[in-house]
Amino acid sequence: MSSTTAGAPPAAAAARVETPFRRFVSEFAESRLALLGLVVFAIIALVAILAPWIAPQNPYDLAQLDIMDGRLEPGSVGGSGITHWLGTDDQGRDMLSGIIYGLRISLTVGAGSAILACLVGASLGMLAAYAGGRTDSLIMRLVDLQLSFPAILAALMILAFLGKGILNVVIALVVVEWAYYARTVRGTALVERRREYIEAAQCLALPTHRIIFRHLLPNCLPPLIVVGTMQIARAIALEATLSFLGLGVPITEPSLGLLIANGYEYMLSGKYWISFYPGIALLVTIVSINLVGDQLRDVLNPRLKK
Amino acid sequence: MGWGIRAVQCAAVLACSLTAGAEGRAQTLTMGVGAPVTSIDPHYHQLSPNIAVGHMIFDGLTSTDGNARVIPDLAESWQAIDETTWEFRLRRGVRFHNGSEFTAEDVAFTFQRVPNVPNSPSSYGIYTRPIRQVEIVDSHTLRLKTATPYPLMPTDLANVMILDRETHANATTEGFNAGPMAVGTGPFRMVSHRNGDRIEFERNDAYWGQKPHWQRVNYRMITNDAARTAALLAGDVDFIDQVPTSDLAKLRADQRLALSEITGLRLIYLSFDHSRTEASPFVTDNDGRPIPQNPLKDARVRRALSLAIDRGAIVERIMEGAAIPAGQFLPEGAFGSVPGLAAPRADAEGARKLLAEAGFPQGFRITLHGPNDRYPNDSRIIQAVGQMWTRIGVRTQVEAQPWTTFVARAGRQELSSFLIGWGTSSGEASNPLRNLTASFDRDKGYGASNRGRYSNPEVDRVLDAAMRELDDAKREALLQQATRIVFEDVGILPLHIQKNTWAMRRGFAHDARADELTRAQDVRPAGGGATR
Repeated sequence: MSSTTAGAPPAAAAARVETPFRRFVSEFAESRLALLGLVVFAIIALVAILAPWIAPQNPYDLAQLDIMDGRLEPGSVGGSGITHWLGTDDQGRDMLSGIIYGLRISLTVGAGSAILACLVGASLGMLAAYAGGRTDSLIMRLVDLQLSFPAILAALMILAFLGKGILNVVIALVVVEWAYYARTVRGTALVERRREYIEAAQCLALPTHRIIFRHLLPNCLPPLIVVGTMQIARAIALEATLSFLGLGVPITEPSLGLLIANGYEYMLSGKYWISFYPGIALLVTIVSINLVGDQLRDVLNPRLKK
Repeated sequence: MGWGIRAVQCAAVLACSLTAGAEGRAQTLTMGVGAPVTSIDPHYHQLSPNIAVGHMIFDGLTSTDGNARVIPDLAESWQAIDETTWEFRLRRGVRFHNGSEFTAEDVAFTFQRVPNVPNSPSSYGIYTRPIRQVEIVDSHTLRLKTATPYPLMPTDLANVMILDRETHANATTEGFNAGPMAVGTGPFRMVSHRNGDRIEFERNDAYWGQKPHWQRVNYRMITNDAARTAALLAGDVDFIDQVPTSDLAKLRADQRLALSEITGLRLIYLSFDHSRTEASPFVTDNDGRPIPQNPLKDARVRRALSLAIDRGAIVERIMEGAAIPAGQFLPEGAFGSVPGLAAPRADAEGARKLLAEAGFPQGFRITLHGPNDRYPNDSRIIQAVGQMWTRIGVRTQVEAQPWTTFVARAGRQELSSFLIGWGTSSGEASNPLRNLTASFDRDKGYGASNRGRYSNPEVDRVLDAAMRELDDAKREALLQQATRIVFEDVGILPLHIQKNTWAMRRGFAHDARADELTRAQDVRPAGGGATR
């Protein structure tokens, strides 16, 4: 913190400070809330990764479910001897296990689609910025077209065409999200490519791909990381929405959105837990990612520096 | 004229309008129905909501009571005077809403119009097709000639609403929907119609039969289940149909509400791929390789799959008691149902034994398909069946799809096993036998909904005999025999028969109908006399 030099461009600052990573960490840790978000997210990710070992039941194995255990209240003991701390849904699926496995799907889909969309979007954005002219216009008009379409509507149309399944959900999410990355990268790259170090690289007659990937791309990374974090949260929410509408995952392998959809018909009957707990899990996941993302934006954006 | 008289006049007018207001409120019924009415034309589209509204505006020659038994309507009596001739005696003194008199000519006209309604998505023509010739004996006697003996004539004609020859000579479906052509002999007249939203009726005070209690009826279509229940709880409507099973427990406990229910005529069943002797598309061995011989062709395998299912658990846990476990097409007591043919008791051990006998001691894998937006809890039921099959070693994947996608695939024989339903509108067993389990035969019109392509020559033979038999008792015995063969062979796998449920505010009563129709004439104030 003490070494912060106000107004210095981030790339240059990073080059001057001895340990940029340590500086980044200490700046990030300035916000307790963001730290809390990071810790919560780490726990959620760990739980999701360890799902098969910590969940009381495999909620995707039909042989382990019994409809006679259906809609048990939180804390009841089912026919198989398992205590259902968060109750069961209509199929007798342990809600705690369902949520743990559901988080797994949500995080996989969220991270997977964000990374893929980032690859596609960043490449196209970089190409637009570097090539300019007609390529630029073409790509950016595509971006405009994509952004003018409500994401959920576009995703619904794609899924109606491709059919259900986790892979198809990821494809749909990539299609609706790549434009954000493309726009962000193009904006940053347009600024960066007029800088001296790029000109220097061009004077040295370095090959184009080397200029793009070794010089331009690393300097466009900070805003990309910010957008990426936010888009993971958005992708998770979008996947939940699609599953809630019955277009996402298969019904025997519910994600958080489908768990919520399964329960909401029982809300009027007072069986709140089927929707409530997966809803809380979804909320906590998205909020923790957003907290981290917000702080990343503050730290990585030179204009917001104190 | 003094002030006195004026004052008295004013008071009288005021009093009149006040009582009229109170009376008007008391005599208005607001109903919330779950399925939209697609047309007011009674010959355009065979669909329960359309038929229900048809029953309010029009009458048929025959009708059915709450238990789907045929009763007289515009025809007072009928009989088969020889093998191929039915004679109907018509009710006298019946008038259409516009005052025009009902005669045998109107019936003849109606039979001509029915098969010729343009663009009909599902024609009523099947009910008039057997009629080769209509002979008008006098203004109120009619003879219908058929090519072959046709015992179902009175049953079938309950579906055909009678129109007026003068009024409806050039009537179009649009004319009915817009209002001017919605003229019948029924207990209500249509006042207004907003497509897919609401229909308003008023009582036909010149109705020939028991006049309904309600002066006005608002028939509102509320397709969202939660919204319909909420409208009843909020008092926006007095009466709703298709009560969602997830709300049943809550509504039963509510002191302000009453429920009416009856065992319906809709069977929910599983159908198997009988069309392939070679590998079936969604059946594999435990390693995911196709099985060269379709195991579903083996009756022992089908019996094992049936024994694996705990129907009582499905009815209790998923249908919330709004169904009865089924072992055949129709509930006991219906024409052609087999006395004592109950749902098989769940027996996982016996099921495993049968599988081993059939050569699958380790079971196999199967995908069970079904709709997710057609029947109450459809996607939940197939998941439950998936659990039960998996437990006997038939590892089941479950795939639920929207109805339109699903039914197209089922109809192209693309699936190996799937859940589907059948509502027996006629209330007797020849209907499901002909449609679901008779060998597919386009020319005869048999097996039209036999999507698994089950085919058993024995069933076909007994059914053909039944369809030529005019004697009710003999025909029923033949239908029972055919039914027994189908279910011993597990040609289809019956799960349950739905109960139809309606909910209303306290102070209302309802005569429930097995055929799911929601009609205003069946609703009355609680404690009042029957309205039918």
